[in-house]
Amino acid sequence: MSNDLNMKVNVLPVLTYNFLHVNDSTLQISDFNIQELNSPSAKELPAGVTVEKAVPFAEAGEIFRENNDRILAPIDGHVEPNGDTSARDKDQALRTGMGADVDGLMTSLGATVDIYTVEEGVKADKPIVISYDMKNGDASLSGQIIHAKKNSEVTVVIAYTSDNDASGFVGVSTRLFAEDGAKINLVKTQLLGEGFVHFDDIGGACLSDGKIDLVTLELGGCKTLTGAYVNLAEKESVFTSNMGYLVRGDHDLDINYVADHRGKKAQGLMQFKGVLMDNASKTFRGTIDFKKGSSGSVGDEQEDALLLSEDVINKTMPVILCQEEDVEGRHGATIGELGEDLLFYMQTRGIDEATAKKIMIKARLDSVAGLIPDPEIKQKTLYYIQNIV
Amino acid sequence: MSENSLLQVKDLSVSIDNELPILHNINLDIKPGETHVLMGPNGAGKSTLGFTLMGNPHYCVTEGNILFEGQDITDISADKRAKAGMFLSFQNPYEVPGISLGSFIRNAYHNQTGEPVKLLAFKKSLKAAMDILSMDESYADRDLNVGFSGGEKKKAEILQLLMLKPKFAILDETDSGLDVDAVRTVSKGIEEYQKKKDGALLIITHSTKILESLHVDYTHVLVKGNIVHTGDGSLVDEINANGFERFVKED
Amino acid sequence: MADTNNKQVVADIDRSLYDFKDVESEKDFYRMAEGLTEETVLKVSEEKNDPEWMRDFRLECLKLYNDIKVPDWGPSIEGLDMDKISSYVRHKSDMKGKWEDVPEDIKNTFERLGIPQAERESLAGVGAQYDSELVYHNVKDEVAAQGVIYTDLESALRGEYADMIKSHFMKLVPPTDHKFAALHGAVWSGGSFVYVPKGVKVDIPLQSYFRLNAAGAGQFEHTLIIVDEGADLHFIEGCSAPKYNVANLHAGCVELYVGKNARLRYSTIENWSKNMYNLNTKRAIVEENGIMEWVSGSFGSHTSYLYPMTILKGAGSKMEFTGITFAGKGQNLDTGAKVVHQGERTSSVINTKSISKDGGIGTYRSSVIIQKSAKKAKASVSCDSLMLDSISRADTIPGMDIRTNDADVGHEAKIGRISDEAIFYLMSRGISEEDAKAMIVSGFANPVSKELPLEYAVEMNNLIKLEMSGNG
Repeated sequence: MSNDLNMKVNVLPVLTYNFLHVNDSTLQISDFNIQELNSPSAKELPAGVTVEKAVPFAEAGEIFRENNDRILAPIDGHVEPNGDTSARDKDQALRTGMGADVDGLMTSLGATVDIYTVEEGVKADKPIVISYDMKNGDASLSGQIIHAKKNSEVTVVIAYTSDNDASGFVGVSTRLFAEDGAKINLVKTQLLGEGFVHFDDIGGACLSDGKIDLVTLELGGCKTLTGAYVNLAEKESVFTSNMGYLVRGDHDLDINYVADHRGKKAQGLMQFKGVLMDNASKTFRGTIDFKKGSSGSVGDEQEDALLLSEDVINKTMPVILCQEEDVEGRHGATIGELGEDLLFYMQTRGIDEATAKKIMIKARLDSVAGLIPDPEIKQKTLYYIQNIV
Repeated sequence: MSENSLLQVKDLSVSIDNELPILHNINLDIKPGETHVLMGPNGAGKSTLGFTLMGNPHYCVTEGNILFEGQDITDISADKRAKAGMFLSFQNPYEVPGISLGSFIRNAYHNQTGEPVKLLAFKKSLKAAMDILSMDESYADRDLNVGFSGGEKKKAEILQLLMLKPKFAILDETDSGLDVDAVRTVSKGIEEYQKKKDGALLIITHSTKILESLHVDYTHVLVKGNIVHTGDGSLVDEINANGFERFVKED
Repeated sequence: MADTNNKQVVADIDRSLYDFKDVESEKDFYRMAEGLTEETVLKVSEEKNDPEWMRDFRLECLKLYNDIKVPDWGPSIEGLDMDKISSYVRHKSDMKGKWEDVPEDIKNTFERLGIPQAERESLAGVGAQYDSELVYHNVKDEVAAQGVIYTDLESALRGEYADMIKSHFMKLVPPTDHKFAALHGAVWSGGSFVYVPKGVKVDIPLQSYFRLNAAGAGQFEHTLIIVDEGADLHFIEGCSAPKYNVANLHAGCVELYVGKNARLRYSTIENWSKNMYNLNTKRAIVEENGIMEWVSGSFGSHTSYLYPMTILKGAGSKMEFTGITFAGKGQNLDTGAKVVHQGERTSSVINTKSISKDGGIGTYRSSVIIQKSAKKAKASVSCDSLMLDSISRADTIPGMDIRTNDADVGHEAKIGRISDEAIFYLMSRGISEEDAKAMIVSGFANPVSKELPLEYAVEMNNLIKLEMSGNG
């Protein structure tokens, strides 16, 4: 199969009015000649972590299929919501935010996956750092699986960098499996040049007391698609996510995040903070899905979008689905300019409007960048932010 | 209209969003080094005056004007007023995640002076000011006002007062919601400001706790948007004893 | 009927208030053949004595109906078979201006619904539609004297206001909008026309009541309201039907034009029977500094698609939407609101409550669009859902599309249940668990009921009690 695929990705878990044009996004990658089909290697591996390199994509998903009886334990009396789209992703080894078409692309082009396994009980003493250092014209498609066995903990940092004026393509699939009591911290920082098309497709499954913590920064690239679907399969599993983004020029950012609560007392906490400038556009989809049986669960999703130009387009689709009485779900969104009151406060300290805006952009992004554990990559990210502000 | 006035308010009337006026014909004349107190019952318009003097765009000056060092500042924005040497301490300062208290002050200082900030010297003077306010050094690295208690927020405002060294500061209900110890610490900070500089103050308050240890030159009583009485520092004691009743009746 | 004393209390509110049926004897009624063809559409047109442009319009709409697909995002409407729906059913007598003249059987129906009493006590005018046609229309003399027109749409179409109707009819909701708007355009019948002249303030509400009594029939009434500059009106719409085992269809259309500095409040308590497919379209356009207020209670129907839409065209225009949806057993109610901000300084507030129980599916769906021209617009959405068990669904699907930075948009959604502590507190004061729950749900619905005139608020609370008792 060629890569002339018109992919339908980031499909909203439930469809809504077509005139909003938020039900899905398309991704065309026929313009790229993809030469690189393997993931870069980690700089060094912490003790207790092993890696299996370059496993074909379809084969790599086996670990999820083997555990499907736990990840997707059948739900008695499940009723579909109106406009349900889950059927289109049902053949994925693990459901991801961008969905089945990414799996199709990976398989048809022969992309491979590096599988990192953290042994039972191991608390990795340093992060696994994977750097995609892209050159102008590079096009790469690859993936990782992070498998944290019982009661282990690991941090993975993935950085995407290139020169500021470079163009190219980076497509990455990262799938996470946190077994009982395990914790995976995944940090992704995207500092690509202005001509880069980038997608980041994340899927996750947490078993009993398993945790996934995601920190993502989307700062560069001209077209970025990112999706995460985390399956909180069993009791007391936790998904936390912090995203910071900046979209400039005529760039476009497209987001689809889902926390699928199945286990009891599962927590899903998602925060999205970002800034839109110039002619930038952004579509945010965020879904909290309380399945029947997820009693005692808490889901919270907060979006804070700062709009700094009159030509931006901001679309927001915050969805809560619920078939369980004993849950607490919340969503909040604040969208607009810098608040007048905050601006006044800054001005009373002698800070003019332009500077106040810069401070606020930096504040938003720095607060997410501050969560990066690897000092070198954190510094790089902070420096990138400093430069664009 | 004396030569050395710092802040002059002439026949000032103010309304919010073009609704009915809240302040009527306010006149004030504050000279360098003077401490003025503005008192009055709740809803009298005290905070409105503070916001108006500092240039909050919600408040419209319908009549009169405000002069600072002889320049008419009625129509200029808040940041320019701050650069000219004015300061307003907020009753409810804003929480700004992602920017630390220390770097915020450094930013503000740099914006006001236009001079590069010498990091070491800055840190030293920040620490000195924090000591006066019994603030733990770690507060400098915490996000601005985020998760601060009421008292910590007020201290952070006074810290900015000490660091930015304005010529004229308006303190809006800096004592409200504070316990005895915190009031003492905050007034220590204000005393420090009075001591060090030729700085003038307008202290807005509806209680007298904070004024106990401070020298006060003038006291103004604001009732229903009018200054109904102006006296010296001893007026504070009288109000402390008898409340505002006398002035409300006068009105 | 009720098996415990407790339930007896709530069961006292008699579902038969809405669910009685008067047998329509064939000789008194004209019922058109089921199905939707060019022939049936022409037949409706002929029955209605349409002007030529209207007949052509109907045929055009039928074509659109056949071309447009069923929406892929909403509740299933597979149970609705147009071949089994009669588009037109009417009593053989004409519309009356006096109650005494309304045919006995129909009069009885409306008497039991309390409509004549409400008219005497608290309304400025009443229209009553039975199946496809209005059977009664009256407006108080003093209101008519102010120049207020309140009449059935058909006679308005041929009278003094013919041009006004032609220039407004299905201009706000074009038949191209969606499949059921096209259907409405093809077979619409009945409904009201209201015109409130410049500066006239109507102090007490006007009401239209819609009753669909025939089984396997459709009701397609069209409501057109024009509130001219500086005028003020409250319009109330009530709907009910007895329950049948076959599907009934309601595809009405409401078009509201709110002039400069005018205000219109449009209140609905919808209690269609639970075999009804309610595919209703409501839309308002608001000129400079005008105000549109919606109060919407959705209790009945098997399946609903209902999202009243407001276009804030004029600078400074405002919209407020207050809604409640109660989805009980067998119901799939997909409701919400839409707003488009076009003018500067426009503002919208959407406040909704949704309750799901006994396997009901309640979906809140909305869209807030802020166009580039809507500088300094403000929009706030707040939607709360209450889950009463774990076999029901409560889904919240709001969308926002913002194309100016100079706007202030806030959104809040919450989902939860009745807290055990709250129930315990009430029970400790001697209230039964069931009553405690009903009280808490009524409290949850209070922001909506307090927007309604008293007698409607009472009706709504009765409906809530009825639903809570499981007898709804």
